Order: sequence, then structure tokens, then C-alpha cells
Amino acid sequence: MTQLSAYESWAVVLGLAAGTFLIRYSFIGLFADCDMPAWLDRALKLMVPGIFAAIVCSGVVIVGGQVAGWDDWPRYAAAVLGFVAALLTRGNILVTLGVGMAALHGLTWLAG
Amino acid sequence: MVFFKALSRPLVRAAFISGLRDSSLVVPSYLPFGLVCGVASVNAGLTTGASLALPALVYAGSSQAVLVQFLQGNASLWVAILSGCVINLRMAVYSAALASRVRHLGTPQRMLVAAFLVDTTFAMIQAREASHPHDAHIISYYAGCSTVFWTGWVLFCAIGVFAGNIVPASWQLDFAIPLSFIALAAMSIRSVPMGAAALVGGAASVLLFSLPLKLGLIAACLAGLLAGLLTQKLMPSKS
Repeated sequence: MTQLSAYESWAVVLGLAAGTFLIRYSFIGLFADCDMPAWLDRALKLMVPGIFAAIVCSGVVIVGGQVAGWDDWPRYAAAVLGFVAALLTRGNILVTLGVGMAALHGLTWLAG
Repeated sequence: MVFFKALSRPLVRAAFISGLRDSSLVVPSYLPFGLVCGVASVNAGLTTGASLALPALVYAGSSQAVLVQFLQGNASLWVAILSGCVINLRMAVYSAALASRVRHLGTPQRMLVAAFLVDTTFAMIQAREASHPHDAHIISYYAGCSTVFWTGWVLFCAIGVFAGNIVPASWQLDFAIPLSFIALAAMSIRSVPMGAAALVGGAASVLLFSLPLKLGLIAACLAGLLAGLLTQKLMPSKS
């Protein structure tokens, strides 16, 4: 863990805030007079599941900057159970979190 | 100030209050993710002030989580910011969908509407329009929802920033970040091409994670997009 300087901390926060604001303001303000081109609309909508899946898979499989091995199977199993819970509850975040965290701790304990 | 004057008009106030009420029922689901984001931003080495400004100014949990993970992995600051922005590209879709409802507003008000645009408020607007078609006060409703969501999100993240280190590492609270996204991912897949985008994006994020400069996440998002477009091309068209 590295402590960032105050300058670096504020630079990343303000940088992300500015970029995100420009995206949000894009068609509300910047390009308010033109409709979003159909191809861009289609591409952005197609991109969303890939973005979420990429965050999930890298978050589950990469631990401490390295690809986790089979010893970490409780993480994978808990993620799969969480996914099933999400499908069954139509994306309820609280249920998904509850099932996933309970599975992670239960299976880690079982794995001894 | 114009807005506070407008609040004295009964219909505007009614829409604002229903926004407050409807969003109060949803905001508790922000709690776990907010706590984790708060904890993670301090652990990634951000100063306390910047950790508090992050939810207040960026106000987009997924990109905050990605930014923080990249900082923790010692990525360059530019790549961390860029990756967070790629995660938020989806908001351009919301922005385009809202454009027709803000035509009558001036630039400062449009900027305000844009600043508070998130997945949940957009979903609330859509649900409201389904139950109240052609609502002239939809932006007041939006303002009500945003008031609750923004306050809740900043508050929950702040609790994480200040109280986070009390939670022992053995709780593996970091796992809550991918778990929160599992719920979002499960709901975002609504067609075969979207499924292909998810499969390839997920696999690529692991296979490409050792790309230089930590560009793997951006590359994975693009790979998922390509897979989705290709599947769409190859599938027999319905039209």
C-alpha cells in the first residue's frame, strides 16, 4: 500500500469527476441539438455487460495483483452462488451480497 | 434559487416529495457498496479529504471502485482515471435518453441534472414515466430522488472512510466489490450478443490483466464490445 500525496489524490479525484461529468453532460448539454447516432447507442448498450463482467472476473480471480490459484476455490464458488442469487432475485444487491459473503466464509471454513 | 422558489408551487412540491419518498426505499441498498468504497479509498492511499470528495464529486460507485483498485495496484494516475471514465461511458446512453426532457431548461439547470445522473436515478425516472405518463414535473421528481441518493451515497462512503479500519481483514470485505457488480452484470444481460460481450469481456479481463500500464480492463471492455457486435452480425436478423 502506498500513500498518495495530497496533490496526486486530488488530481485523480478531480480528473475522474471532470471526465464523468463530461459523459453525463454529453447529450443533455454538449450535443443537445443532435440525437445520439444509432450505432453509438447500440455499441454503448452492448458494451455494458462486458464492462460489468470484466470488473467481476478480474475482481474475483485476481487477488493481491496475481491470478489466484485453485486454492482460492471458495472465491470462485461464492461468486457463482452470488450470480445464481442475483438471477433468482432479479438483481437484488443486498441478497447477492448476503449469499456471496456467507458462501465465501462458509466455504473458506470448510476448506479449513 | 429558482428551484427553491419553484418548490412553493404545489405540483412541483408534490413531485419533489414523491421523489424523496420513492428513493428513500431504495437508498439502503447503497449501504454495503458505499461502506466498501469508503474503506477501499483510504486503503488505496488517498488522503481523507480526497476520499470524501470522491463520492461527492464523482458520485458513481462502479468507477470509484475501479479507480481505487487501480491506485492500489500502483497503476499510473492517467490509466486509473481513464479506466474509471470507460466504466462510466454507459451514462452517455442515459444522457441521450434524458435530453428530450431537459430541452426547456437553461444551461445551469441542465448541468445540475447531468451532475446527478446515475443508474438508479435513471431507473427511477423510467419507472415514474411508466406510472405517470407525460409528467410535466418529472425533473422535480428527479431532484427529489437525487437529493436522497446523493446524500445517502456520500454518507455511506464517509462511514467507510472513518470507520473502515475497524473491520478486520479476515472479513474479506474487498470481495463485496465484485459481488455488487455480479448483481449488476446479471441484470445487464438481456440478449445473446450481450451475453457474448459479457463472456468475452470477463475472460479477457483475466487473460489480459498483465498488459503493460494496466490497460487490461479497457482492452477487455473493447474485446467484449467486439464480441457483442460480431455476434449481432452473425445472428439471423429479426427485422
